[in-house]
Amino acid sequence: MIESIISYGLAMGAAYALIAVAYNVMFSTSRVFSFTAGALGMLGGVCGALFIDRLGLPGVVGLLATLAFCAVVGVVTEFVAVRPVLRSLDQHLYVLSTLALCLMIQQFTAIEWSTVPQPFPQLIPVDLLGIRERFWMPVVACVLVVGGLELLYRHSMIGRAFLAIAEDNFAARALGLPERGLRVASYALAGAIGGLAGFASGGIMLAFFANVSPFNFYGFIPVALGSIGNNRGAIVAGIALGLFQQAANFLVGGVFSSVAVFSVFIVALLIVPQGLFGAPPARRV
Amino acid sequence: MSVTRRAVLYGSLGTAAAGLSTRRAAAAPEPIRFGWLTALTGPSSAAGIGFNRGVVYAAEKINAAGGVNGRMIEVVTRDTQGDPAKAVNAAVELASNIKVHACLGPTNSGESLATTPILARFKVPSLQFPQLDTLIDPVKYPNAFRLTPTNSQWDDATRHYCIEILKAKKVAVIGDNTGYGTTATAVSVTNFKQAGIDVVYDAVLDANAQDTTPNILRAQSAGAEVVVVWSDSTGLNARMMNARGRIGWDVSFCGHPAMGSGDVAHLLEKPAYWDKVYMTGFRSCSFDASGKLPPRSQAFVDEVKGKVQLSDTVLYWVLAANDAVQLVAETVARTGSSDSEAIIGYWNKLTKWPGVYGDYTFTPTSHNGYPTDEVVMSAANSERDGAFALAPGYA
Repeated sequence: MIESIISYGLAMGAAYALIAVAYNVMFSTSRVFSFTAGALGMLGGVCGALFIDRLGLPGVVGLLATLAFCAVVGVVTEFVAVRPVLRSLDQHLYVLSTLALCLMIQQFTAIEWSTVPQPFPQLIPVDLLGIRERFWMPVVACVLVVGGLELLYRHSMIGRAFLAIAEDNFAARALGLPERGLRVASYALAGAIGGLAGFASGGIMLAFFANVSPFNFYGFIPVALGSIGNNRGAIVAGIALGLFQQAANFLVGGVFSSVAVFSVFIVALLIVPQGLFGAPPARRV
Repeated sequence: MSVTRRAVLYGSLGTAAAGLSTRRAAAAPEPIRFGWLTALTGPSSAAGIGFNRGVVYAAEKINAAGGVNGRMIEVVTRDTQGDPAKAVNAAVELASNIKVHACLGPTNSGESLATTPILARFKVPSLQFPQLDTLIDPVKYPNAFRLTPTNSQWDDATRHYCIEILKAKKVAVIGDNTGYGTTATAVSVTNFKQAGIDVVYDAVLDANAQDTTPNILRAQSAGAEVVVVWSDSTGLNARMMNARGRIGWDVSFCGHPAMGSGDVAHLLEKPAYWDKVYMTGFRSCSFDASGKLPPRSQAFVDEVKGKVQLSDTVLYWVLAANDAVQLVAETVARTGSSDSEAIIGYWNKLTKWPGVYGDYTFTPTSHNGYPTDEVVMSAANSERDGAFALAPGYA
């Protein structure tokens, strides 16, 4: 039981954390929660199976093609569902536009791919330290993304530009930073991260059009729990969510594990509305 | 453009010929308009495409033989795409504009729930395939008749197999959290308890649950001798079989036909995990120990060889649809009428009408025509041309 909780919990937690990071990366440059994050995760699994299983591409090529495709979907999201509604952010029209695009992607996948889960290929036929690929791959992907983002944000000009945009959009533009270009780049990056989440967890989630909903819902929980925009918080909250979900699966079982997860989520937000890693909002006097 | 006298002459001749042809057409017998509502595209089109092969084959065969008393079968097909709203619009069109003489479909419960009252309002004789028990009600919908088993008949066959053949005293019942799965699980649990069987574990799982190991372990530790599964999610079914295989539990799975889907095979970690999985099936679509189908089914399969593709579909879809068209044709032939009242009246007295898929019986108070003893269990991993081998234990 403990082995199953840890293996499944860590793997799924890492996948949720990656989706949460994709949410955050898109949010940081646009102040938009794009619900295409779940669709990106789903596409990661479907594209991986398509490129490697059906088209016979080598695993690495299939991975790169998947990331490239999902990055393009990220860019399309920015153009189609985000840019047109940025001027009226306070009306939250992005909820409708990104959800609509997400549903379109999901339905298109259902029609063109399959309505039943399809197998995801095993890339490396040997276990790593006795751990099966489907369990270690999401964790490794998560570690690589965290490391990569740290390097990007702290040791590159473009990363610092991202942070500047995220910190103060108007000030960054006043300093001459190409805000639109950076936003498009952040959506491409988020697309690749979301696609990686689906690809890495494909062994567990399979290549299935209906994976959009679990990725969207469970991926959003670490965003809120880890404090919006905080990638480290999202990683910690994502891993905790995965472990708790799998433990609940054993303890209460069936559909009640989902109830347990969302109950704890609501209680946690009632206690710390700003998230576990966020500072309480300053009180205006 | 100039108009010549020759053109006027040809035009006049043409008009006269058209008039003659119209009178001849008016003299031709009216075709039997057969409405056919099914999902031919979209996510739930697999069954619709299979059923459609049976409809098209039967209609072409009847028409090639001269029709019914000289009347051709005209199949008027509408693709509902699995969408109840589209099905409703199509049903209204078929009933009120095209004025079909009989209607088949739609092929899933959600659509049929929406269209059955409409077809009843227009008194269109209606043949149905979905399993939902409440869909057919001779009092509310005296025009609607079912050619396939109900959910209850599936449940009866599964319970009978578990108790009488597998000799199970303790069972676990697991379904998915869809409307169908939840209802089927509850009914199954109740019926097992009424039969004096100990239901040691029952659960409803998310149809997309990634890890079913906890539930299978619970069923095992509770002492289940059979696990009864009510889910049409191939992903969930395969995950439960994988979990059973991984923990090395040698228990039988019995229940929903989706466990025999080819999609399950792709998701299994080992082919052996498909052993000892038995799904509801039909005697007419089951191979015996020598690999032969029952005579009527075997004759049909031999007849359609090279004309109807069976390798990528389910045999019962093709057979049941073929029977539906043949039943309408025979009704018109016997009654000499395609009036609604004549057709419904004939069906209400139908006794063991020998279709290929089964022998159908209707009465004014029972419009569920498929015989319960034809519903049997099949070995899930034995599919060949859409048919399955009988599960072990049947004579």
